[in-house]
Amino acid sequence: MKRLMILALVVGLAATATACGGSKSSKSGGSTAVTISNEQGTTWTCGFNPFNSSVNFLSFGTVYEELTFVNGLQSGKTTNWLAKSFAWSNGNKTLTVTMRPGVKWSDGKPLTADDVFYTFNLLKKNPGLDLNAAWSVLQSVSQNGDQVTFNFKTSAVPYFYYIAGQTPIVPKHIWTTIKNPVTYKDTHPVGSGPFKMASCSPQVIKYTKNPSYWQTGKPTIETVYYPAFTSNDPANQQLASGKAQWGSQFIPNINSYYLNKSPDNHYWFPPLVNVSIFINLKDPILSDVNVRRAMAYAIDRKKVSEIGEYGYEPPSNQTGIVTPTFSDWLDKGLANQVNYDPAKAKSILQNAGYTMKNGVFEKNGKPLSFKIINIGGYSDWVASVQVIQSELKKVGIEITPENLSSTTYDADNFNGKFQLSYNGNESGGPTPYYELRQLLYSKNSAPIGQPASSNWERYSNPQTDKLIEEYGATTDLAKQKEIVKQLEAVMVNEIPVIPVTEGVDWYQYNTKGLSGWVTKDNTFAKPAAYENPDWGVMLLHLKPKGSS
Amino acid sequence: MRFVVRRLGFFLVTLWAAVTLNFLIPRLMPGNAAIAMMSRYKGHVNPQAMHAIEIAFGINVHESLGHAYITYLGNIIHGDFGISLTFFPDTVAHQVFQALPWTLALIGTTTILAFALGTLIGLVSAWRRGSALDGALPPLFVITSAFPYFWLALLAIWLFSIKLGWFPESGGYDVTTTVGWSWPFISDAVYHSILPALTILVTAIGGWILTMRNNTITVLAEDYVRMARAKGLSPWRIMWTYAGRNAILPNLVGFAMSLGFVVSGAILVEFVFNYPGVGWMFLQSVENQDYALMQGLFLMITVTVLLAILVADGATAILDPRTRDRS
Repeated sequence: MKRLMILALVVGLAATATACGGSKSSKSGGSTAVTISNEQGTTWTCGFNPFNSSVNFLSFGTVYEELTFVNGLQSGKTTNWLAKSFAWSNGNKTLTVTMRPGVKWSDGKPLTADDVFYTFNLLKKNPGLDLNAAWSVLQSVSQNGDQVTFNFKTSAVPYFYYIAGQTPIVPKHIWTTIKNPVTYKDTHPVGSGPFKMASCSPQVIKYTKNPSYWQTGKPTIETVYYPAFTSNDPANQQLASGKAQWGSQFIPNINSYYLNKSPDNHYWFPPLVNVSIFINLKDPILSDVNVRRAMAYAIDRKKVSEIGEYGYEPPSNQTGIVTPTFSDWLDKGLANQVNYDPAKAKSILQNAGYTMKNGVFEKNGKPLSFKIINIGGYSDWVASVQVIQSELKKVGIEITPENLSSTTYDADNFNGKFQLSYNGNESGGPTPYYELRQLLYSKNSAPIGQPASSNWERYSNPQTDKLIEEYGATTDLAKQKEIVKQLEAVMVNEIPVIPVTEGVDWYQYNTKGLSGWVTKDNTFAKPAAYENPDWGVMLLHLKPKGSS
Repeated sequence: MRFVVRRLGFFLVTLWAAVTLNFLIPRLMPGNAAIAMMSRYKGHVNPQAMHAIEIAFGINVHESLGHAYITYLGNIIHGDFGISLTFFPDTVAHQVFQALPWTLALIGTTTILAFALGTLIGLVSAWRRGSALDGALPPLFVITSAFPYFWLALLAIWLFSIKLGWFPESGGYDVTTTVGWSWPFISDAVYHSILPALTILVTAIGGWILTMRNNTITVLAEDYVRMARAKGLSPWRIMWTYAGRNAILPNLVGFAMSLGFVVSGAILVEFVFNYPGVGWMFLQSVENQDYALMQGLFLMITVTVLLAILVADGATAILDPRTRDRS
């Protein structure tokens, strides 16, 4: 009798399953909706405050917009967005932005220079909102008619990217009513962008198109679904099955798991910033440039890329210029100076007075044996360091990996508590200058024990600082390239860090119902969905297939 | 009466100890929430934003431990668990109440089902010892309950979602449905919960079967059961009211305890199936050093487990007079 009950239960469940299964149908032909699969390891809070670093990627680019779009794949090429034009004056210390007329907020009120003026004063008043530290370089902001003028403390050309390209403009008439903008959730954001947030639950955000968007006739996509994924596997599964069309994550074995599933599945991983070995220059042994140079020659970067990174992340070169993204900036002669050459690595050490003992070089009784910190949760980095370990062992340098939790790892990096660190956490920027500045500028450093913002290896050279500041004073691209080439020479001659592989933007896309995607030959924006405001630009380019 | 007072007193002392430990433990952990936040963004946040984040989160604000403890106790009484760092600037209470229904519905239902089915199968198979049912079901479920949950769940996803396409592979509902008390949404949510529920059932049921079967076999050897048989009562009645009722006592306590643990969710289930519940949130709070969220969840779990124990004590006292006398 009980068996009957169980049987009935099983039959009941199966019936429900088939009944519900029938209601699912797949769309064919042109699609006006796009679903994003970007595992963030969290559910949505349904907050959209564009100055909150944990949710700004959900509103900046689609709902809120910037003054000028700066393309990080085309050496910082600018497209005027909310601004109609901009001009530098006063020795590149003053930036004047003229606003585009006729732009409206999604509640119908006009967007004016007053809103821009208000936004930057909001950041000044609330340093907790100033994510790009704009007010560390800004002197004052003023408004005159449809113009906003930014006065900088020094020549500030590279800061254009942060001021005009990375600061979302918010409506004054709404934000003045908010008591505490830092803890403001912004559940129903009012912006100027191509999409409006239509509904939100912890599991999914739905965006619908803004019918009164200032770029007439755009967007052509009606709906964007952004589901929350707490782990990678379900997110990858949605991509492989075609339920999600735009992916931004690591997929192991991508050819058989994703690419071969459908002829419409594609991927492209543009490299943006180096993953490098940071060398603590305050370490008594590692402060010897010969040791660092020997290491740079000893590592077969191609092997690390192929074994550690499935070949997704290409090998780096010692100049620190990420190729092919920034190939225009590369001094090929410098790049070829440090090629894979283990014999040369050994001879460098021998000439510098190191002797081999039990397979490890040493000098004055101190062996070349170091610890390298790494994030234990990044299986690709762990594999990469294993390759590096065996490469260095061949030339008589011993390294021991310490795989840490990311919190401990970050604290150790910031505070300089390491000998070697495997690290790709620089944020980079639209030209290679930004990464080199983060690596080499002494103002980004700090004494050991105090947190440094990006110069974790603690490199400091007044000559280099001067070069970095000179770049800030020029808008001439040829001159900028010349300065960057001198910084490349610093990287090659002094080896403050050893770039190993090139970190990429993770990007998968499905062309079944949609066209207009970023491709290798059409690099109009950084293609990962977590790149903001770039994802808004991508969504503006997407079209239902078959439409003109 | 003395029994009730003693039990209540014990409950209050344990509660106070739990609340205090809950306050202390996260503060003894190393690390810094702003750094944890930075690492979650894998460097996509400008490094100079660090200071801005610290200001926003109110980290590095110096406050004495004693003062913090008193504020903490006061806030708890008012049901204020603070602002979550993981879900900044949302409050802990709001986040937990959003996730809790999913966990209660899935884990709660399956716990009750597993208990009911397991107890039933255990009882029947003990009653019909040596029958085909006894030979098949208990060993089968004992074996399945020994499988690692992760492996079993992934296998189920591979077979039923990817190969056969019967069930969705992840999530609590389809992303294109509108959330609300409508039939399409509820049926979609139920449909999404079938696969996780079945995998939990298959792994959880074995334990209940085994204890119930063993208890029943012991009880069946008791004199009162022999007496009932001798009186000529129907086997149906003996099985239910004589054997079952007595054998279920130890299982009942276990059941009350497991109900208490329902609110802690099932981290593995929610992780594998990308299910929007509390268990995953728990993991997240630890990873992000989100003290406020961690404390809120810990407190909720402790209180429910303590309450469940209190209820179980009470139930045992009512069902089994021996426990009352000895107190």
